Amino acid sequence: MEPADVPVDPSPVLREPAHRVSRRAVLMWTLQAVVVLAVLLAGQVAWWFVDDAPSRTPHWVVGAVWLVAGGAYAVAMPQWRYRVHRWEATPRAIYTQSGWLWQERRIAPLSRVQTVDLERGPVAQLLGLASVTITTASAAGPVTIHGLDLPVARELVDALTAAAVTEAGDAT
Amino acid sequence: MTEGWRRLDARMLLVHPLETLVRFLPALLAIVVFRAGSDDSDRWELYAVPVLVAFGVLRWVTTRYRIADGQIELRRGLFTKQTTTARLDKVRTIDLTAQLHHRALGLAKVEISTAGGQHDRLVLDSLSVDAGRRLRAELLHRVDPAVTGLPSPTGTPVAVDVVPVDAPPPVGDELLVRLDPSWIRYAPLTVTGLASAAAIVGFASQGLSRFSQERSVFRDGASWVARLSWWVDVLLLLGVVSLLAVGAYVLTFWGFRLTRNRLGTLHTRRGLLTNRETSIDAARVRGIRLDEPLGLRLAGARRLKVVTSGLLREQGGSDWLCPPAPAGVVTPLALRIRPDEAAVSGPLRSHGPAARRRRLTRALVPAGAVAAALVAARLLWDWHGSLLVLVPLLLVGAVALGRDRYRALGHTVTPDHLVSRHGSLDRQRVVLDRDGIIGWKVEQSFFQRRVGVATLVATTAAGAQHYDVVDVPLEQAYAVLAQVSPDLLADFA
Repeated sequence: MEPADVPVDPSPVLREPAHRVSRRAVLMWTLQAVVVLAVLLAGQVAWWFVDDAPSRTPHWVVGAVWLVAGGAYAVAMPQWRYRVHRWEATPRAIYTQSGWLWQERRIAPLSRVQTVDLERGPVAQLLGLASVTITTASAAGPVTIHGLDLPVARELVDALTAAAVTEAGDAT
Repeated sequence: MTEGWRRLDARMLLVHPLETLVRFLPALLAIVVFRAGSDDSDRWELYAVPVLVAFGVLRWVTTRYRIADGQIELRRGLFTKQTTTARLDKVRTIDLTAQLHHRALGLAKVEISTAGGQHDRLVLDSLSVDAGRRLRAELLHRVDPAVTGLPSPTGTPVAVDVVPVDAPPPVGDELLVRLDPSWIRYAPLTVTGLASAAAIVGFASQGLSRFSQERSVFRDGASWVARLSWWVDVLLLLGVVSLLAVGAYVLTFWGFRLTRNRLGTLHTRRGLLTNRETSIDAARVRGIRLDEPLGLRLAGARRLKVVTSGLLREQGGSDWLCPPAPAGVVTPLALRIRPDEAAVSGPLRSHGPAARRRRLTRALVPAGAVAAALVAARLLWDWHGSLLVLVPLLLVGAVALGRDRYRALGHTVTPDHLVSRHGSLDRQRVVLDRDGIIGWKVEQSFFQRRVGVATLVATTAAGAQHYDVVDVPLEQAYAVLAQVSPDLLADFA
């Protein structure tokens, strides 16, 4: 059943990308989780005042459930993410690893890069962080690196832009 | 006005009022019905007519297009002038659509798609069929020495490819496939066919419900149906749905013809009432997709689609290279478009026991949940016991589905193509050109990591934008990567 031209090399392994993101990214993800929790809390408070039923037990139960789940999320997710998120750029390609429960590795050859974006959300600005998004001609292929130190991100954008200019053709 | 601007065909002046008329037909009917019962003789709705005509004239006067400096420009609007331009080398596909009223006037709507997709679409509504074909030839054959040798296409358009509507394909064009009327038997076997049947039923019932005086017909009909035994109902339903699916198939694919010119441009023509011609630039084709939905597979049939950029909205089958047809027709056709025997019909590498377990779990969990709910309903609310018959059916069906989905899973790499197959009810085999792949993803969910499999995603600018090799063992995923993009892996291995 094996096609003849499968390479002889038994186990080519992709190593992890070389660089971690900024340590402050953990703080950024924590803050983002806290914002989500605050929205949930607002909903809970609103429910407390709107509800006319005499029993307050459902409120305590629901509140306890999301507090435990949300708290675990806010504590575990950022650390987990930080351990997973990595990136590396070579003159030929960009290679990233991201996610926590769902993880993915993405590789895009620089010859197919169309645009390079640097984005800074409010939390990222507060912490001096930035994310870099590299788009190719495929709608499915944007590569985003979150939580880079701003100087690192700027340097990366310059390097990628220079590399993208020297290559021709985007395979559309 | 500068050189080279061309207008739409003057006959489009009739098209726009006609379309407006059709769109407001229900409102007009309502007005007529309302009028019948009153003595008011003031025909104020007629004032709309000059407005409509004026709008049409305005559109005709203000819309111009030209081909100049390697771009096609479309200029519209009186107060807000809007100019859309597209570089000629970004033109991917060109659609010529002629609905009934277009055909009566000898017109066709020309839609030009470029790399960017939806918002980069240039629509010329309408040109005469000849002018549309000429424009298409200018746009797609721009690299043809026969065309580039001629004066530049800015002045009077050069007369290339002037074909009467029903003429055979021009000499030199290769006829790849022509619809055989016997293929219509496959229409009820596809989800597309059933969906269009459902759409027709919905449309018809909405239309009929406007005529309230005929409700008694529905009531009589309903009570007549209710008196029949259940298997007659099922047969009736099957019959009606099949008829509708066949009708939709005939409307869409009647006279289907796929040709290829000497530059490799693929050209389809189809439709019973609405004629649609699609031209796909060969340089933009990144592969083909063989579809074998369950129904077609059981009947020994399949269909063929093209993977290309510029057809983001898969508009009613523009990407179809062959409607449902016997495998003995489709497979050789696929081989003529992508002459790679191993990719089109060769054996695939299967994905192993972990993938098999995952397919079974995914089929069994929802079926098990429904079965449990049925049992619970029987025990708690005393539902009718005959429903419990469904429980073993559900479970057996789920196992069969999971096994079939596993059998479908497979991939292979040939010197030119990456091939991936998956799905049971909607099985598809994608043959993707290796040089059309512009990036990779290796995705792993929590459960996939535990059993050491991954989903390998090849991203591309064409078709669905990404094609997946599902639940492949991680080392096999990397092997595919290494084989298709060895230079990339060399950097990170």
